[in-house]
Amino acid sequence: MICTHMSWYYSKNGTQLGPVTEEELKAKASSGEVIAADLIWREGMSDWKPYGQVAEFQGIGMVSPPPASGTMGSVSIPQPSAYPAAYAQQVPNYLWQSIVATVLCCMPFGVVAIVFAAKVDGLVARGDIAGANAASKSAKTWVTVAVGCWLAVVAIYAVVVLIAIIGGAVN
Amino acid sequence: MHRDRAIWASLAVLGLTFAAYMLRETGGNGWMPGCVFKKVTGFECPGCGMTRGTYALLHGRVGEAFGFNPVGMVLLPLAMIGLGIEVIGWVRGKPLPFRLNPGRWGATVIAVVMIAWWVGRNVV
Repeated sequence: MICTHMSWYYSKNGTQLGPVTEEELKAKASSGEVIAADLIWREGMSDWKPYGQVAEFQGIGMVSPPPASGTMGSVSIPQPSAYPAAYAQQVPNYLWQSIVATVLCCMPFGVVAIVFAAKVDGLVARGDIAGANAASKSAKTWVTVAVGCWLAVVAIYAVVVLIAIIGGAVN
Repeated sequence: MHRDRAIWASLAVLGLTFAAYMLRETGGNGWMPGCVFKKVTGFECPGCGMTRGTYALLHGRVGEAFGFNPVGMVLLPLAMIGLGIEVIGWVRGKPLPFRLNPGRWGATVIAVVMIAWWVGRNVV
């Protein structure tokens, strides 16, 4: 990777630290200071992500347990209980978008989006990140469908009104 | 800070303000398409009444506004605030350190209330 100037922020126990370079972050991961579940972020990312889920760092530092800690076992797969509270915010739930789509776009598809959106945070809390991501994606899809249908209706309506106006002018 | 995102967000705010102004002046008559779901099925959707409700609210008639769609009148402002916080983070390119998040149980309650409201208003 050429972009060594990239600045990474990382979070330990709810405190934001950094910026550090990619190399420094890799070093911290190798020493066990940063573990797979720790949240990292840099400019351009839509949200904080766990270190273990960022492509640039796959396989770096995550197999060795932190040397200073007395806990046993590998930290390569973070346990659900080890997720910081902020982890719940990593999977966007699209709840507010769903509500706006339901109430303003007048499209029942929004209700489907709300149901999926409501599942996201519960799945994260249970440690089912794959399920949470799937629910998040479904919520996003149904929000898009609701808004898309609404835009289509508005467009058709605008054309009908325009034709009526032109028709009125011709007559 | 992303300039293109700031422009989109500003346009959205301007559009909403203009729509609110137009709604306040005209009541939405003649230029709003109305609810397609209601026209097609005859049933009310969870958002039905929001145009009339917002019109009433923009004229200071709060009680009347809640009468048209109480659930929407509570949830829409909450959702707008929640969404506003996310949009600010999106424009900045870095999420704000806080969010309006009802949590897993709050989200479930919202989903249940929304479905109960939708079914209930068509049955009662």
